[in-house]
Amino acid sequence: MKKHVIQALILCVTLMTVLSACSGGSSKKTITFWTPLTGEDGAYMDQLVKDFNATNPEFKVKHVITADMYTKISTVLSTGKDVPDLAIIHADRVPGFVKQNNLEPMTAIMAQQPELKEENYIPQAWNTGNIDGVQYTVPLDIHSHTMYYNKDLLAKYGVEHWLDDNNVTVEEMLELQGKMEEGQYVVNDALLGWGMMGQIQNLNGDIQVDGKPAVDTEVFRKAYTEVKKLNDAGLMTPFGEDGFLMFQAGNVIFSTDGTWTSTAHAAVEGLNFGVTNIFSVSPDKFTNRSSSHLFAMLKNDKRTDEKEAGIGVFLEFLRENSMEWAKAGQIVASKHVIESPEYKNYMQSFFTSSEEQTKSLYIYTYEHYPYIAEAVDVYSNDIVRGNVDMDETLATMQKFVEDKIAENSGAQ
Amino acid sequence: MKKAILPYFFVGPHLILFIVFILLPTIYGIYASFTQWNLMNEPNWVGLNNYKTILFNTESTFHVQFWNGLKNTLLFVLFSVPLLIVIPLLAAVALHHKRVKGKGVMQAILYVPGLISISAAALIWLLIFNKQLGITGNIFNSAVAWATTQPYAWIIIIVITVWGGLGGNLIIYRASLAGVAQDLYEAADIDGAGPFRKFFSITLPSINFPLIYTFVMTTAGAFNVFGQPLMMTDGGPQQSTHVLMMYIRSLAFGHGESIAGMASAMAVLLGVVILIISALQYYVMSRNAR
Repeated sequence: MKKHVIQALILCVTLMTVLSACSGGSSKKTITFWTPLTGEDGAYMDQLVKDFNATNPEFKVKHVITADMYTKISTVLSTGKDVPDLAIIHADRVPGFVKQNNLEPMTAIMAQQPELKEENYIPQAWNTGNIDGVQYTVPLDIHSHTMYYNKDLLAKYGVEHWLDDNNVTVEEMLELQGKMEEGQYVVNDALLGWGMMGQIQNLNGDIQVDGKPAVDTEVFRKAYTEVKKLNDAGLMTPFGEDGFLMFQAGNVIFSTDGTWTSTAHAAVEGLNFGVTNIFSVSPDKFTNRSSSHLFAMLKNDKRTDEKEAGIGVFLEFLRENSMEWAKAGQIVASKHVIESPEYKNYMQSFFTSSEEQTKSLYIYTYEHYPYIAEAVDVYSNDIVRGNVDMDETLATMQKFVEDKIAENSGAQ
Repeated sequence: MKKAILPYFFVGPHLILFIVFILLPTIYGIYASFTQWNLMNEPNWVGLNNYKTILFNTESTFHVQFWNGLKNTLLFVLFSVPLLIVIPLLAAVALHHKRVKGKGVMQAILYVPGLISISAAALIWLLIFNKQLGITGNIFNSAVAWATTQPYAWIIIIVITVWGGLGGNLIIYRASLAGVAQDLYEAADIDGAGPFRKFFSITLPSINFPLIYTFVMTTAGAFNVFGQPLMMTDGGPQQSTHVLMMYIRSLAFGHGESIAGMASAMAVLLGVVILIISALQYYVMSRNAR
């Protein structure tokens, strides 16, 4: 019996140790840093953190990759326990977090680190974290919608001149109607929803009017009608087929995916490709719908002023030393990095090569943007493919967004 | 005294885990279904409003999502459950035959897919069904984009479900078949019964309870389907494979601020449906088994 009691005690102690280890908690000299960066991005960030810790800072950084980060953030914020000291959040989350009073302003950190200022970053990446004059975030990057082109196919069809003004228009693409070889296409449908959001800007429209969502509008109708022409002309890769793969196989002239996929394309042997802006429905304007990874401090009473200063040191280190992040295919937000000659070796440097290019990186900051983006992602393919009635679907999308906003506003 | 306390030490750990990880979250989930809640602020009590919206407000997006999700979930249950009962049962009966060699290896081959994560399995199956790279396109000359065309979208969901799910029931059936008395079959042989007669008159009645158990549990599991349609079709084409759990998850943990109250109400309604159907199944099957 005595033996059993001892065994039971050992089991209890082991369990308690394991459970307490699970609860984690940050030590006084460690900055707990949460990111949603799974896959290769996480490895690049690990390297940046390792480089920083190698400088022997007073506060070392512990990088925790959290796949379901926003769910976990809502849990820790509501309990107030194990809130990370620093996190990377996406641009479209800032208005919601600020409205809920969940973000700590960067004011004190900016006072201690004078180089953490708007002038040293791509403006729209910096400004997306500025709400009512208060700076809540410091940007790491901009990750943008991007159009890759197959150089050999452009030459084959004699349309290299489309790239001359950096604005490939729908009208230009339609010139190839009926001229494509069987099994070859002008453009694929990767990240179509992102593209549609860009077209709204190209038509000088917006997704909101006086703070109200505006989806069932003439601008959306016009944008969908124009892009649908590519499908109707048989120039878009067939519905349901892997257009990304078809581009890599050399059967599609343009692939509309993200800056981060340049590394995947580069790994394909024999794929002779370059990068340009997403095609436009307007000859006068081009837009690359973008988002941004931003450093933010969630409200946490346990974060000391000293630790906050340590976070400032880390952010300043990254401002000067985040070239590693360019390897992930991202447009680094720090001007110190993007203005250095080494950065020109990266394909995405195209997007910051001129003022006009930089301006083309558009980040939506409307409070209810995530709901609109969700509706656009869900319904765009069916509209463009002609599977559904456009007017009816736009009305459904408008209702989708309005219902979510109404339900959400009751929860404030 | 010692004897009175001792059993609680054995039941206790499980009871504590059950209360902490199942009972309390369930109660809180039911409470949340009567609120508007974004997971951050305090829940705002709205009584039966969420249920009224979901069930009766035909204009509401949530009403449309719930009924479309429930319809698709029911279709999945109808397509998958019979296959997940019949195929493992037939395989178990086949493996039970004396002359079959390598029973352990065969069982392992059928069971292992259930151990593979749904994401990894879906990637493999999507490649198999890929029009350009896959077997279906290159060997069978299928010109269909499976994931975006009905009824093929349902077919690939059911294929991966049966492939991954038959091993669990197979093991239960094999264990139960091992317990069926051999003298019953010998007596049937003497009476001149054929294989079908023996299967329906001896095998099936003898494994009655394992059959009821697997039927009820497989049905309840099928109602909670999530990974297969998410990975294989992403709910398409035109949301025709968008199951209820996908709507619930995207409401609670999707884009933007959470709509957890409405999601909880949908989850409670799904729970009620599962409860009613499981109870009915159990009642009908156990009554017939008497």
